[in-house]
Amino acid sequence: MHELLLFASVPAHQHHELLQQLAGLTAMQPRHRLERRLIFKAYRKPGLINTRVGASQDLQGNEMQRLNKMLNGGMFYTQVVGPLDESDFGLNRSSAGDPDAAMSGTEELPTNGPTYSYENQPWKLEFRDIPEAGTRSAVTARLMASSSLPKGDISTPMTAWGYSFVSEYVVEGDIFVLDDIVIFLHRVLNYPTEPQSHEPRRELPPLSDMVLLERSGSYVLQASITVQDGGNQEMMKTASQHLFGLREQLKSAVRLEQADRLSLDTRAK
Amino acid sequence: MSDSFSLPLRPRLDRPDPPDPLPLEIAQINAQWGSFRHVSEDFLRHRIADQSDDASEDHDESPTEVDTTERLDQLYRKRAEITQFAHQAHMEALFALDFVSLLISHHAPRQAETSMSAYLKQVAPMGSLTPEVVDPPPKPDAVRRDTAAVARGWRLQNFHSAANKLLTAATRLESEVAAETRYWNEVLSIQHQGWKVCRLPRDRQALGVQYGFLEATPIFRDRGLASLRRADDGSLLLDQGLVPQKARRVRVRVKTAGRWTGASRTPPPSTSDPDAIEARIRQARDTVYEEELFHEMMREARILAPHGVTTRQNLVRVPVSDEQEIWLDLVDTDGEAPPPPADDGPPAPADDDRLADALAHALRILLTHAHRQNRHRREQPPPPLTPRRRHTPEYHLLRPLLAGLQHRAHVRALEAVLRDLHRVRRAAGLAGDGTVTPFASVRPPAPHPGLPTVESLVRSLLRPLESTLGGPLAAPQASVHVTVRTAITGPPGGTVFDLAVHLPAFPDVQPPARIALRSEVEAVLSHVLLLDVVAAVAAAPATAPGRRWEPAAPHHGELVTAGGSSAAQNRKLTIHLSRDGLRVEAVAVGGLDPFGRPMPDPTATPSSRTWTAESTGPGLLEFVGEVSRE
Repeated sequence: MHELLLFASVPAHQHHELLQQLAGLTAMQPRHRLERRLIFKAYRKPGLINTRVGASQDLQGNEMQRLNKMLNGGMFYTQVVGPLDESDFGLNRSSAGDPDAAMSGTEELPTNGPTYSYENQPWKLEFRDIPEAGTRSAVTARLMASSSLPKGDISTPMTAWGYSFVSEYVVEGDIFVLDDIVIFLHRVLNYPTEPQSHEPRRELPPLSDMVLLERSGSYVLQASITVQDGGNQEMMKTASQHLFGLREQLKSAVRLEQADRLSLDTRAK
Repeated sequence: MSDSFSLPLRPRLDRPDPPDPLPLEIAQINAQWGSFRHVSEDFLRHRIADQSDDASEDHDESPTEVDTTERLDQLYRKRAEITQFAHQAHMEALFALDFVSLLISHHAPRQAETSMSAYLKQVAPMGSLTPEVVDPPPKPDAVRRDTAAVARGWRLQNFHSAANKLLTAATRLESEVAAETRYWNEVLSIQHQGWKVCRLPRDRQALGVQYGFLEATPIFRDRGLASLRRADDGSLLLDQGLVPQKARRVRVRVKTAGRWTGASRTPPPSTSDPDAIEARIRQARDTVYEEELFHEMMREARILAPHGVTTRQNLVRVPVSDEQEIWLDLVDTDGEAPPPPADDGPPAPADDDRLADALAHALRILLTHAHRQNRHRREQPPPPLTPRRRHTPEYHLLRPLLAGLQHRAHVRALEAVLRDLHRVRRAAGLAGDGTVTPFASVRPPAPHPGLPTVESLVRSLLRPLESTLGGPLAAPQASVHVTVRTAITGPPGGTVFDLAVHLPAFPDVQPPARIALRSEVEAVLSHVLLLDVVAAVAAAPATAPGRRWEPAAPHHGELVTAGGSSAAQNRKLTIHLSRDGLRVEAVAVGGLDPFGRPMPDPTATPSSRTWTAESTGPGLLEFVGEVSRE
């Protein structure tokens, strides 16, 4: 599958207005989305022998060639995405009441502990290639693939598949759908503290404690459209024309443009 | 602010000209008409006749018929005249230009040269003409006074015409402002009533009102927008383009055995004034909804063709049962067809009217539900783009109705069978009862988070329908239950019957699972009830000592008394059970056939008894008691 993208930066003060405009344009209410994203890096397992026998006496079969290519090809960072709910985050300490009030009250106050259950967290693996180079069209196009993963602790299977955990962050935003285009207006939140161990967190801090990656609170508007067969030039052209149509419609509000290719580089060096 | 400010536009006449003195006027009349002495009655009559002749001639001239060639000729002549005038004007302008060029060629030769004609350049040398200011000779006073008076007259006249123009412009603006105000007030009132007013996407200058349904099929969605035009007097006009403005609606009619027995009613108009813009918008909305409904029904009816649904250009015919049909068509609301012609039969039952109404409402509810489903689908992340076009599935409009009607027909028929059988049995003094729970599967939905009540309500109607009927039987602990299930989404016509039979006397008797034909179920039901009668007779306490009835061939309803000292003393009982009655035959057993089965004694006279639903008197068990005592 291929993905075609356009991006725009939205300052914080314009966010509310843009939400309204998008809601009008797409004739739907925004769907709020909170996602936790874990970054994994693929690594070559030691002990893998790279047998490269030269000369022509060892003609490799087609299958073998493909396997070798897969084993020795480039390494990529991948993301593991898990949807969250606002109730998954820890409660804010100030709003949970002080311990005196809890003692004097007769009724049972909800426990302060977060309701987040790491064991039941569903996951999805999202692979994104580096955007295609040298395309003359003014959209970012890249190869993509997604697949579902088992629930719960994800680092063990990922380690087994040859990925090591790098870091994680949270994405907060709203989704709109306009025909084939998915519009995602989001921003990135970082965790307030460094994790103790080098693996995904099992508990989440209060949402209000999360730190904005971009201090000004600005958002990123991402318009994407997926195409089943990236080799079909006709479809790719139709898809980019749809995106250009959206760009024209939103011209007075935001400027949608292509992203810098190298800033979306997912290759692991 | 402009209220208090008024500007006098007409020039003020300070000193109106004094009327001419009488001697002057008399002199004028003398000059014009001659002396008063010549004025006589004849003379005046003559004058009047002359004048009226002139007038009539003028009058006659205008409407003279001109035939086409003459008219064409006239047209050409006029055109030539116009061209000639234009040429002349052009020539004069060129002459003037040449003249001025020559005049200034003395002072600005270069500039003058550009505008000079070639001919002039040849003929007249540059700078050969020069102006000079001369003092005109002083004009006599009389001439000057005349000129001043004429100039004053011209000025006054011009002022007058300017004032007139300004005043008409002001009146026009005023009426325009009033019209605009009225227009905008009406637009505002429409918006206050909750209609969506927006700019038209194509014609950015015009306003439109959206009354259509966003989730409808694109052709109907795009029709849900009409522009709000302004009439000359400022009232609002709803311009729907080329779409006919007639109000239409889907009519549901029920035809039973070739006669119209029911039709859905037209809802009364919601407002009293049909010409109000609000009512017009509402009517446009209703019409677009009804047309979409019919369009979707047509689409669905085509895939239902294998199930007997037929379509015509403007009609969908849905067969419900052998003699009942539902007709759906799109009719004009105002040109309402006359009520179905009164046949000479009995008046149509109001039941069918209600049925038609209910069907009409159900269709509309289902279309709205389909719209909601569309919205849900639209808000989901779309699948990747592929060259193949996505097919829009047909809405579930007719299928649920078809399933519901079919289910109802099946349950009613089974209920009738069960009721008849039980009535016959009760007349014969046998216990047992049959209860019916129609549409047991339809119950108020449990509140579901994230799903509006309306949707869960409709969704519960779209689930497979299920009804149960049955109850306890006469034999102890015996019972029969039938579950009728009709799937809506699956293949229509898919009604499945499940029977649960509990007969302690015949534990091996079990009906086949999932019977698909109603006639088979009816046969099984009456067979089970027959077995129950046999079991009840066998289980009845023996009236005569040692005489107990034992089922010999229970599936044929045959019982014999066992325990007699010889075969000849035994009796044989044959029971026939049908919807019409219960018949029992008792005969003395003559012997055994080669298979060891009791054979009726040909010499003995059989005694028999029949119970129908209306029978009274002694029951079956009393009769059996009598027989066994013989």
